[in-house]
This record gives sequence, structure tokens and C-alpha cells, in this order.
Amino acid sequence: MKILIAISSKEYSEPTLDVGMNIARVLKASTTIVDVGQKISEFSMKDVSLVNELMETWDIDRPGVDVLEWAYNYLLENQFIEEKSMKDGFPKNLLIESDSGRSEVLLKGLTLENLSLILRNGDIIKELRDEVDAYEYDLTIIGGSGKRSMSHDMIQYINSSIFIVNNFNKDIDYRILLAVDDSPGTSKAVKYGVRVAQAFNIKVEIITISKDENFSEGYKRASSNAAKMMRRCGLEAEVNFEIGQPVETIIERAGNNHIVIMGASTQSPLTKFFIGSKPLEVMQNSDCPILIVK
Amino acid sequence: MFGFSARSITNVLFWVTRKKWLILSFLLSISFFYVPSPEGLLPEGHRALIIVGVALILIISESIPLPAVAILILIMEVILGVDTADGVASSFMSDAVFFIMGSLMLAVALVNQGLDKRLALSVINVTGNKTWRIVLGFVTISAFLSSFIGEHTVAAMMLPVALALIRNAGLSTNKATRLSTLLLFSIAYGCAIGSIGTPSGGGRNVIMIGYLAEFGMGTISYLDWMKFAYPMLIIEIPIVTLILWYTFTPEQKIMDSSVRKLKVKVAKSGKLTANQILAIVIFIFVFLGWIFISPIIGLGIVALSGVFLYLSFGLIEWQEINRNTNWGVILLFGSAISLGIQMKETGSALWVAEQTLYYLDIIFKDIAIVRWFVSVVVTGLLTNLLSNAATVAVLGPIILDMGGEPIIMCMMTSIASAFAYLTVVASPTCMIIHSTGLITSRDYFKAGWKLFIISVFLLLIISTFYWPMLL
Repeated sequence: MKILIAISSKEYSEPTLDVGMNIARVLKASTTIVDVGQKISEFSMKDVSLVNELMETWDIDRPGVDVLEWAYNYLLENQFIEEKSMKDGFPKNLLIESDSGRSEVLLKGLTLENLSLILRNGDIIKELRDEVDAYEYDLTIIGGSGKRSMSHDMIQYINSSIFIVNNFNKDIDYRILLAVDDSPGTSKAVKYGVRVAQAFNIKVEIITISKDENFSEGYKRASSNAAKMMRRCGLEAEVNFEIGQPVETIIERAGNNHIVIMGASTQSPLTKFFIGSKPLEVMQNSDCPILIVK
Repeated sequence: MFGFSARSITNVLFWVTRKKWLILSFLLSISFFYVPSPEGLLPEGHRALIIVGVALILIISESIPLPAVAILILIMEVILGVDTADGVASSFMSDAVFFIMGSLMLAVALVNQGLDKRLALSVINVTGNKTWRIVLGFVTISAFLSSFIGEHTVAAMMLPVALALIRNAGLSTNKATRLSTLLLFSIAYGCAIGSIGTPSGGGRNVIMIGYLAEFGMGTISYLDWMKFAYPMLIIEIPIVTLILWYTFTPEQKIMDSSVRKLKVKVAKSGKLTANQILAIVIFIFVFLGWIFISPIIGLGIVALSGVFLYLSFGLIEWQEINRNTNWGVILLFGSAISLGIQMKETGSALWVAEQTLYYLDIIFKDIAIVRWFVSVVVTGLLTNLLSNAATVAVLGPIILDMGGEPIIMCMMTSIASAFAYLTVVASPTCMIIHSTGLITSRDYFKAGWKLFIISVFLLLIISTFYWPMLL
């Protein structure tokens, strides 16, 4: 299992890092934390890299290093990495360009086998997509974005499951709202549901939504399988069958105190591009974190 | 769907969304290709304008790599029959391109000498510890140096000095404050106003001089250029300082401990080394070469001679120059200049100039105002959307075909192309300060619009009352 956690700054990314590392701990996943810096115009790319080199001679960090340093300190405080490296602080000198425009520091993890911090620069969607494609991550965890096109692009183009840590608040007692149906992605969504519930030690609400009163056999089976899986893993689960429009019902039930977990849309990419999809609509209209499982 | 996997369709969709400007430019060029040439415009000129449109869209959107835009321009010039392959090749390389190439390499060579710490010390020794004097010092030294060497060189050397001062003042170099904004803009705007000072201040100046000579419209020497432009540079120094100070007045009016710490830090780097002295001597030779022998051998060859000396004396490794020189930009400027020359030769520059004069004359009722408007206001605005050298390469031939005194038109265009105050992408200097993460896009507008308007009117006054005295 490989997880990619995208952060941007201490101010905005603490919940993302918190949620991401909790999940990584439970999944014992190889984890990479990435900061994607702003896009530099091609006209000035060389000038900027020359300036960054010069800044090193003045002991001034290039942009992005501070974000990685904050993430490093977080990992240290939460015992994800060994304390003995603390006296030297964040090992900036080990931030090595491993690929064009991609610098990486490999850390010695305590609870996780592989843990690394990386810096990239450019269009965030393209950079995350390239990273996911090149290093085959299973799950990308990222903070919420108000931009509609950004949400669409994240779901459509990043080839991994996506956890959007939207408005996450530590003080809220979250529950998981696990949407199941007879689609092929449901069983994977259920597995993720188990892991996230274990990571936060929270209850699960399994929800199956039909537009009319006739719930198909497939729906009923999906719901009972999910409930069985939860029981087997020692998790408390509540099973609900709701009648209504799926998107509206999920948004209404989720409120701001649920983590929504649902499978990715099985529609064709063209339909998703032009018309959209249920996960996208839920993501854009709800106030809570959402995990879309691919 | 149609036998393609969902993954392949997603990949295609991703490509389409990222390359929408490329697709749009392709569709527009095909549409305009089949539109009949307007009266007075030769078919070759019509096609040259299609290439200009494609190039502008692709340069502004950066939807494909810049070297790819450069190559596309050359290919289109030949395929659309604007010129033969040999004709395109000969217009691609010129002294202006030599200059841009030499200037970028000189920048790498100079930045590598570690002169930034010396520079820091000399600035601080003169300015003392009052913040307003430091800002004035930054603007002055940035303007003075960037009038002789590429502004990106100066910005690269000055930026760490500013960041060191900010850090020494106990502020984070990762969090924007009024002080950080003030100091960084004093470098960027100082470099911008300085780059007009001499022909070697920017590639665009050399491009305009090249056009003047190529089109047989006149010549202008290094010292004559300085007589035209330096007074404006000097007047703008206090203006920039005042605008920046009142837009971003910092809490820290005195930076005593910050300056002291900087002096201690710089003192550790010891005295000037023999290599640093040699590097300075070579640059002085280059400067003298620009003044005295460039009319004979060209500004570009002088710049390349400097690079030759730096390499021969072992002051810089070729690998270092190779790694840090933006070859893509050199290719792009070569292509843009080639396109400018083709615009002139196919008559499309003249056609656009005539159309512009005709329509704008209806609005302004005075041809002199129209010329001023296009050469100053349009150039100034366009330079904020794309690279200033690319702006001049494309607009230069049109402006020179609008009539008026060619030298004045050349100077107005070159100087207005330095009014790159409003956006991040306006110049490499703006991008360099933006890359620190301390300057937002909005900050450029806050101070930039005031400086833009003042610069436009200052140029109007100088070009109307002072320049005619020099002719």
C-alpha cells in the first residue's frame, strides 16, 4: 500500500497531514509527503534555480523547504521517525533532486517502513498525477479546494483513490458514512471504510440509497456484506436504507460530522468530463471530508 | 468506448484540458488560413500574421514548452511559404540573438563568482541602517547595475541580500510582511527601471537596435542610447522609492541589528579573491567593448567575447554555463526576431501599422498621439502579459512602420517594454521575487499601477521635450 499526502503550508495542511498519517499508521503504508510549489514560468526557470542555489550559500532555504521542515517536525513529535536524528533537525542537505524538478528526502521511519518528503513545482494536478503514475500510489490525501474545476480534475485525472480532507476539525466526533451499492467499486470502498474507522476509532454508518422503495438484491447484499465485514473487524456499524436521490441524501446525512466514503463513478470518462458524477457532486456540495475509492 | 480503455480516454482528456490553448491556436490558424487576405495585404503577409497569432497564444499560455513554440514558428514560416528554409535560417540568427545568448551566459558566470556578498557590503556601507535608505540603496544599485548587465543577474545577486536582511530582522523568510514586500519590490522595480539605461540593459534594447539597422532606418551608439535613456532612469529612482515606501510602509523604520548581523556574515567571506578581481576586470572590458567597439563588431559579439574570457581563464566551467543557461529562451527569441523580420519583409507589419493608424486616428484625431499610444501604452501593457523581449520582437517592426522619427519610436518602444510592473510573468525579475513565496499576484498591482502611469507620462514628457534636443 502506498500513500501520497499533499500539503501546502502549516496554516492550511495540518488536518490533512494529521488525517493522512493516522491512516498511514493503520495501513502500515509506504508514505510520501509532497509539497507542490508554485509554477515557475519557463522564461525564468533557470534564473529561479540559480537564485535558489545562491540562497543556499547564504543559508536561506528555498521556498517549500519550510513546509517540509514543518512536516518533519510533525513526524518527529508524533513518533513516526526516530528521535535520535532530532539534534540535527530537518536534514535539508539530504534533499536530493531525484527526478527533473522533484527533490526528495528519505527518512528512517519507526512505524512505517518507507517514509519520504518531496518537493515539486508546477501545476498541482499535473504534478500529483505524474507522481501517482510514476510511483504507483494507491491513495492520495489532499486538502479541500473551493474551485470546481480543481475538484473535478483531482477526481478525474489522479489515478488513485482520493481522500479530500475538507473542513476537518479535530473537535468533531466524526462517524463514517459508507455509501454502498451493487457497483464493482463497493467492496474496495468497504475495505477503506474499515481502515479509516480503525485509524480514528469511530463508528460506521452504512447507507444504501435507492430512488424508490424497491431495493435490488445487489443493494441488499452489498449492505449486508459491508455490515458483516465491519463486525468481523470489531467495528460498530449501523445499517441504513434510504429512499431518495443519492447525492442529496448523502450530503444531507453527512452534514459536517461524517467522513463520506464512496466508490468512484463507473461512468465513462467522457460522461464524467461533460456531465459530472455523483462523487464529484457530493464532494462539491458537502462540508465534510470525503474519500473516493478507485 | 470505441475499443479504448477508460484510462486511455482519461489520458486524452487530460491532454486536451492541458493543451486547450494549443488546440485553439491550431483551429484559429486553420480558420484564418482560409479567410481571404484583406485588401492591401499580400498572402505571405497574411500567413505571417497567422504565425504571430499562434506564437502569442502559445507564449502567453505556456501550454507547450517554449523551445517547442520556437521550433513551431520556424516550421510554420517555411511550410506556410513566408520564406525559404535558408531565408528563415538566416533571419533566425542575428547579433541580437548573440547578445541574448551572451548576456544569459555572462549572468551565470558573474553570479557564480560569489560577488553577491561584496555587493551586499557595499550597499549596506552606503545606506546605513535606516530602512528608507536601504530601500533607496536597493533601488539605486539594482537600477544602476541592471542598466549594464541583464536584470536577472542583478536580481539573482540582490535577492539573497534582501532575504538575509529580512531574516536578520527576526522575520521569517517564508512569511510575507510589509518589509519583505518592500525590499523585494525595490529589487524588482529597481531592475526594471534600470534595464532601459543602456543597450546592454536588456535583450529587447538590442532587438530594437537590430531592427533599426536591418530595416535601414538608422543606428544608435551605446553612449547615444545612454544620453536618451539615463535621465529617465535617474528621475525614476526616487519615484520608485517613494511609491514603494508609501504603498508598503514597514513597521521597522530602522534595521540596526539586521544590518550589523549582515556585516558580520559578509565579513566572514574575507577579502576579494584574485578570481573575483579578474571577473570584475573582464566585465569592465566587456562594458568598454560595448561602448567603443560594439558599433564595429556588434553588442552580441562583445558579450560572447566576455563569455570566452570567463571560460578561458577558468572562472566558470562550461558545464555550469550549460546547466544554468536557458537555451529554450534563446531559441524562442531567435524565432521571434525571425518572425519580426518576416513581418517587415512580407509587408504585414506595414499593413497592421496602417490599419492601427487608420482606426486609432478616428479615436485620437492626432497621428502623433496614436504613435505614442501604440509604442508606449500598447507595448507597456503587452509586456506585462508576455516576455518583454518577445513583445518588442513582435511589436517592433509594426511600430517602426508607423512613421515618425525611427530613433524616437525605437527608444519609446524599448523603454515602454521595461514597464513590467503589473504581473508575475512580466519579467524574469518579477518571477524571481515571486518564487520566494513572499509576493502575491495582487502585490504587483498595488504599487505597479501607480508606477506604470507615472512612467508612461514621464516617458511622454521626456520624449516630447528632451529627446528632440538630442537629434
